[in-house]
Amino acid sequence: MPAGLMTSARPTSIPAEPDLARMRRERGERVRTIMRAKGLDALVLLGNTNVMYATGATWAFADSGRGNFEQPVAVVLADDENPHLFTPVREDEGLQLPADHVHGPVYLDFDEGVQQFVAALAGLTGARPKIAIDEWTHAMRRERTTLFASDAPPDAGKVISQAKLTKTPDELACMREGLRITEQAIAEVQARVAPGVRQSDLTATFLRRIFEEGADANILDPIWQVMPERLADGPWTTHGDLACPPSTTERELREGDVLWVDLGISYAGFHSDFGRTWIVGRAPDARQQAQFEQWRAIMDAVLSVTRAGATAADLTAAAKEVAGDRTPWMTHFYLGHGLGIDSAEMPYVGSDIGEAFDATLQLQADMVLVLEPLVWDDGAAGYRAEEVLHITEDGWEPMTDYPYDPFSCHAWNPR
Amino acid sequence: MSVTEVVADDAALRVTRRQRVLAEMEAADIDLLVVGREANARYVSGAPRLWTAGSRAFGPGCVLVRATGAVHLLSTWDEGIPDDIPHENLYPISFNAMNFVTVLQGIEGAATARRVATDALTPGTAHLLPMAFPAAELVDGEPMLRRCRQVKTPDEVEAIGGAVQVTERALAVTEAALAPGTTERRLTGVFMEAMADVGVTTPGSQDVAWATSREQAWRGHGRDRAIEAGDLVAFDASVVVGGYAGELGRTYVAGGGEIDARLAGRFDDLWSRLLDALRPGAPLSDLLAAYETAGVAPPPMPIARGLGLGYDLPLVTHALPGTAADQDVEAGMVVALVGYVWEQGVGGLYGSEPVVVTATGAEALSAHPIRDTRSS
Repeated sequence: MPAGLMTSARPTSIPAEPDLARMRRERGERVRTIMRAKGLDALVLLGNTNVMYATGATWAFADSGRGNFEQPVAVVLADDENPHLFTPVREDEGLQLPADHVHGPVYLDFDEGVQQFVAALAGLTGARPKIAIDEWTHAMRRERTTLFASDAPPDAGKVISQAKLTKTPDELACMREGLRITEQAIAEVQARVAPGVRQSDLTATFLRRIFEEGADANILDPIWQVMPERLADGPWTTHGDLACPPSTTERELREGDVLWVDLGISYAGFHSDFGRTWIVGRAPDARQQAQFEQWRAIMDAVLSVTRAGATAADLTAAAKEVAGDRTPWMTHFYLGHGLGIDSAEMPYVGSDIGEAFDATLQLQADMVLVLEPLVWDDGAAGYRAEEVLHITEDGWEPMTDYPYDPFSCHAWNPR
Repeated sequence: MSVTEVVADDAALRVTRRQRVLAEMEAADIDLLVVGREANARYVSGAPRLWTAGSRAFGPGCVLVRATGAVHLLSTWDEGIPDDIPHENLYPISFNAMNFVTVLQGIEGAATARRVATDALTPGTAHLLPMAFPAAELVDGEPMLRRCRQVKTPDEVEAIGGAVQVTERALAVTEAALAPGTTERRLTGVFMEAMADVGVTTPGSQDVAWATSREQAWRGHGRDRAIEAGDLVAFDASVVVGGYAGELGRTYVAGGGEIDARLAGRFDDLWSRLLDALRPGAPLSDLLAAYETAGVAPPPMPIARGLGLGYDLPLVTHALPGTAADQDVEAGMVVALVGYVWEQGVGGLYGSEPVVVTATGAEALSAHPIRDTRSS
């Protein structure tokens, strides 16, 4: 393992090895507790990540177009500690469900498939169960009077959102492994960055390495964005702010290009996230190092108020106070976002849900928060990076320790 | 030719596809079409957007207005956006559902639309869409999109063929890396690297290799077990180029050597029956019957999957016999046709070939025979 990678960043609160059986048991208890509080008898889940969370199933995500037709479906019953899984996935070594809870695939985009599912569901639930769902196909909607007790079933996605808001120690351990895999791959990619290398070459190295290291899947077209020097040189945008993130092409890197890197993988049902700024073939000049120092100052200000009980508004205010006139994050994203089952999940900090929401959203211990402020210095591009944090009662701990090279950076001081 | 910037789909392809959708909207009396599935949004808009893996809950990603033909698209910037979608029709990424309601309310005809079609729903959007379309009935848009999408134009067949070529190149590299001691996960990594070396960074699937089991038809040994000499290793490779999926499935013997002659013979017999069954006017259930007449057990996976922008229809599986019986093969369909024969003590022989249905029958889109043999 290259020096500096995950050598110093495992807080004692995160076990070295996750206990997967305990992780799934605790999750199941959380989900069913919320179901009982909402008076729900069953959840029907179609969304890939919701199914992974509820069942512990993992598989290699496909293209979204293929995903619609090869869709594992979960049924969670309030009075059964084991969920049911209807799956087209060939095998899943880690799946720990009883054999009678694992069923063949259902095809919910088809009337015939929905009718089969309705029959299977009736065999699992009592009469007139109260069922929540996360998504509907129209074929399901046509059968809604037989599937659901009401015409407008409750949102099962909200149950999962609430359950996954904070992470257990075992979940944190899984996430840390996903981040380790990502950063091992990134170390090799970063060593390859040079003039004449194509963006797609960086992707080639990244994809090979993540699978060698144990990733289940890549989750988005990895981003190696060559930033324009001036905002006006970039694409038109709806809000006049930066365009980010674009798709990767075979564009060749040139000496001096400022690269904004953003990517993530899937491991054991968790998503990782990584963001840095690199400079192609050169050391940062004084102006670029000053951008980085400004970014660090923003991060330090935000981190100084980051703890359980702080509101999202506390964090955005701290960032803005240092940043001056320009809001130091992307208008169409946020200062920070939760990470776990999805690449971006609650808590959202500084999003367009609005300031009133930020004022009421309180951080909780064992949330995982990704902070991604940026500094834009029109005429000389800017600096953006991401830091993944475990929120604690007293403050925060870093989940990783990937270096900020080529920028010189003093160590973080977690609290 | 290397692609160094994000560009919209070819104008002719775009226009043809959008005209088809507008004609179907006319026929089905749909005023507005709101789609969330990326493949549908791409079909309607011709705009490439960032590739992400896995399913995505419904959201208003793209709107088509029948009266004007205007496309409104979720895109915060204009890079790669076709010039027939003006800036004022682009709307940004948002985490606030009410901001989407505001965008939809601003679309021409939203207040008076009588019939609005979507390709899926969520409990949240089922609640919010009536705020944007107060006079409208929400109806199913998938049948009409499937009608549009499942019969390909010649340009689309060419696009799929391009994706198949990339898949073949990457698969050849992966197959060369198949040696005892490697693992399924490593082979997937080799495939992904080879794909990106060609300049394509978007896979159709990320589970490329499968060392079939001698004991169970629908199991393997796990993604991290060392593959052993003599294992029958099935490759299921898929690449997305310009939105279109190319797909190829082949089986090789780890460490080289011939596939068991009896298993190969059964596969070849099945394959010729499958190709015969794929002729215009025949019910798709003839494909299911081909397995039966060949004496091959129904496989656990679908035996034909439409290829296009991701997966299209038809989807033919033994799990949906009625669906297959109700639909006929049409010229212009492109499917990944799947053969799978398994024998106790031997393992599985899997093959998947992208074929286009022509007036006279099925034509393979790849240059490699379905039962590729290697000499190593």
